Amino acid sequence: MSLFDRLFRRRQVYDDLSDEVRSHLEERIDALMAQGMSRADAASAARRAFGNVTNVVEQGRDVWQWPTVESVAMDARYALRQLRRAPVLSATIVLTLAIGIAATTTVFSWARTVLLNPLPGANDAGRVMALETTTSSGSWTPTSWLDYRDFRRYLKSFDGLAAAYPMGVALGDGTRAERHPAELVSANFFDVMGVAPALGRTFPPGDYAGSQPTIVIGYNLWKTRFQGDSSIRGRVVQVNGFPFSIIGVAPPGFHGSMPGEEVDLWVPAGMLGQIVPTGSWWLDDRGTRTFRVFARLSDGVTFDAARAEVESFATRMAKANGDVSKGMGGRLMPVWQSHWGLQDALRAPIGVLLAACGLVMLIVCANGANLLLARATGRRRELTLRMALGAPRTRLLRQLLTEASVLALSGAALGLLCTFWLSRSLRFLLPSFSSRAVLAPHVDGQVLALAIALAAVVTILAGIAPAVLGSRENAAEAFAEGGRGSVGGTRTARMRAAFVVAEMALAVVALVGAGVFYDAFRQARALSPGFSAKQVAMGSVSITLAGYDSAHGDAFLRDVSERLARAPGVTAASYTDYVPLSLGSGSWEDLRVEGYTPEPSENMKLFRAAIGPDYFKTLGIPLIAGRDFTADDDSAHTAVMIVNEAFVRRFMHDHAALGVRVHGWGRWFTIVGVAHDSKNYRVTEPPTPFFFVPVRQVFRPENGYTFLVRTAGSVDEAVRSISQAVKSVDPSVPTFRTMPLADYIEGPLKSQETATQLLGILAVVASLLAAIGLYGVLAYMVAQRTKEIGVRIALGAQTADVLRMVGVQVAALLLVGLAVGLAVGAGAVRVLAATVGSLGTVHTTVFAFAAAVMTIVAVMASGIPARRSTRIDPVIALRGD
Amino acid sequence: MPDTAARDLFPGALEMMVLRLLKQEPMHGYALVQRIQQASRNLLQVEEGSLYPALQRLLKDGLVSAEWGVSSTNRRVRIYSLTRAGTKHLANEISSFARMFQGINLILALEDR
Repeated sequence: MSLFDRLFRRRQVYDDLSDEVRSHLEERIDALMAQGMSRADAASAARRAFGNVTNVVEQGRDVWQWPTVESVAMDARYALRQLRRAPVLSATIVLTLAIGIAATTTVFSWARTVLLNPLPGANDAGRVMALETTTSSGSWTPTSWLDYRDFRRYLKSFDGLAAAYPMGVALGDGTRAERHPAELVSANFFDVMGVAPALGRTFPPGDYAGSQPTIVIGYNLWKTRFQGDSSIRGRVVQVNGFPFSIIGVAPPGFHGSMPGEEVDLWVPAGMLGQIVPTGSWWLDDRGTRTFRVFARLSDGVTFDAARAEVESFATRMAKANGDVSKGMGGRLMPVWQSHWGLQDALRAPIGVLLAACGLVMLIVCANGANLLLARATGRRRELTLRMALGAPRTRLLRQLLTEASVLALSGAALGLLCTFWLSRSLRFLLPSFSSRAVLAPHVDGQVLALAIALAAVVTILAGIAPAVLGSRENAAEAFAEGGRGSVGGTRTARMRAAFVVAEMALAVVALVGAGVFYDAFRQARALSPGFSAKQVAMGSVSITLAGYDSAHGDAFLRDVSERLARAPGVTAASYTDYVPLSLGSGSWEDLRVEGYTPEPSENMKLFRAAIGPDYFKTLGIPLIAGRDFTADDDSAHTAVMIVNEAFVRRFMHDHAALGVRVHGWGRWFTIVGVAHDSKNYRVTEPPTPFFFVPVRQVFRPENGYTFLVRTAGSVDEAVRSISQAVKSVDPSVPTFRTMPLADYIEGPLKSQETATQLLGILAVVASLLAAIGLYGVLAYMVAQRTKEIGVRIALGAQTADVLRMVGVQVAALLLVGLAVGLAVGAGAVRVLAATVGSLGTVHTTVFAFAAAVMTIVAVMASGIPARRSTRIDPVIALRGD
Repeated sequence: MPDTAARDLFPGALEMMVLRLLKQEPMHGYALVQRIQQASRNLLQVEEGSLYPALQRLLKDGLVSAEWGVSSTNRRVRIYSLTRAGTKHLANEISSFARMFQGINLILALEDR
């Protein structure tokens, strides 16, 4: 019998069975009568031999049923009817659930995009690990090309190791050039990523000898700039002015190795010398660490074994190269734990948000359980009646759980709808350079599965207690109480009180968490960076893109800077190769300081900036001693240096710094000035030794340079003037990152700010849920004690006395909730501070704030029930049912 | 056979016997009950009602097919016959049952030490 028959001919099947049984009985009766029995005797004997006719027919029918599907469908229909009868309660549960599930699935979709799937498009990406070099102080650093080659040659745990270095390049066709994100990669990069080209081929093996001027381009670039031309192979384009031929197109889902960013083209590392004017020297310098390294685990090799091999080999290698690698090591980790890229900045905020969502989900569950309990109490008579009429307890249990799951699934569906557009809001957490792929995380099967799993958990957590209690109703008790449920509900009432306390405690934890983050954000923002970004405009250029060498590049920078200084409203203009408070790390130099003897393992690599004249004036950094750089500090004059106060404290022990000589770049520099300490990487950093050298004395065209302009007039106009000045000096040099400096340095704070706001929203939701729960319990309590209150009022109790009754109840619940919540919150903050870091000082005011908010919420939630209690009319109340 | 010796059939036994009887010839439910008694020389007595759920199960699994017809006593009855799948299933059942029976016998026939 086909499925169709089964579904639509069931009635026929049942009728056939009944007919058949009837005919069987008649045949038996005829046979017995033929032996001489009376009809009545024969009929009863036939039935005896046959057994219970109804049972048999029922069992026969059951064969055709998908077990219990029909009864479940019946339960669901009944549940829907029941829920429609209590629309406010149902809507409250569904809406709160939707909020909780939407928040959780949204953050999960972000986590998946940024953390769980950092290498989209790579085949079996779970086996691709990041290999990082560690410094003697334990922090991470990129890996030098020579170290990478040794890793590749000697490590046994991997099928392949690839290196990649992200850089911007100019892609030209002879007439115009555009800046595109690119990666300089080892030839085996695509093999290690497990990526097959959509068109053409990838690089042939061999990094040096086999290097040809070839590139692989990204799918989007192919579609946009080359209109998806299928004959693209062999096309020659200019990369930084050097001709390269396109050999292949990457597949659409693959965006390169920088999580969250989209790379448009890949250049073999062996071609470095062709695309930077300084040549490929850093490929031969073990101390120049620039590459990210990816390693694909071999089959059958565990992560732990591979990590052990990497660590021991890296340590041995560092020993062998003691001159540049003293104390360094290597570390293997999943890509999402690696440090270079978006995932590093977002790991902590997303983790905290996930935890906060978990908190909200718990409150949602407690709230759901609370409301369902209230409902189960209101339905005692119905449930008791059904039980008295013989419904088995399991059936009632199933009925109540079905109701809970209908609610949970509706909430999940609504929540998912919200997730569809909420997940796009990930871009508020991200820097603007992120790839399109990352900006729109899609909602797919995994997110759906999570929503359904959450709904199931909610059904169980919120539905079990009311269902068990509801199905345990004692008929005699319920009816004896006159259906009012005034006494027998103590167990329920106690459980509801517990749920409300849990809700309030969890909400307090959420408030404390949000408060701590807000406080940390406020502290970070209030910190002075040591310079004044207001009224300063910035704009970057990459002069290698236009093919400048050292001499011309230097002249170009000075030329633009001088034009800018003359622009209307401009009070100072300068340029630098490092903009303070940039994301990512800057450049350092190995120094020797005259008169200072370092400890044997002391790190003498110090971060620096190469700057033009008037830098300190432009940024408003005071010079404590000495002079600023001038246009005369060029390669023809004595090499000079300006250091900050922290530098002086560390190396000169506060003695006069001016005139002290410092060795770097293979020669001696003389300190001519001391600048006030300012922040260079993070506003939260302590004063750190830092130094400045004139661009003209250490010029490297491959560095990106940024013009800085301080104006007395409009900053936006100053921003425009940078592009104009660059264009008027050389129209072929593209400018990028043109914006007010204040906007730029706010960047690192942006994700923190957004995360803080989201946490705030979640905390508000948590408080609202707690308010709903408290309101429900109080309203129920007042209704339950109407008679009692009526008696009291009749006996002369004043409004204040009645209010006190309600107030005592609220205070008891609130105090327990606060105590538990603040204790858990304090523990959570300690865990947060340990895992997230950068929380700043945790103030006790945060806890006071959380307690105050919760108290206000509690008072507001109890307002309506309290008013209702004072308005009870004793006459009506005592009239009873 | 006295009632005291009657025992419940193991699950699947009734279905197996029904299939075996239908292999001889198609017949209706009442006739099947009669034939089980006769063929087992009254050793087995099946509660007549239990036959019908069993027949429904076989019908659902496609091991038998049913058609309304007329019995020898000129009554409208539903006549069951073995399908090809039923024949195959029966062969499997018999061989596995035989093995089980053999195993049980070997143990029951152990000599006392």
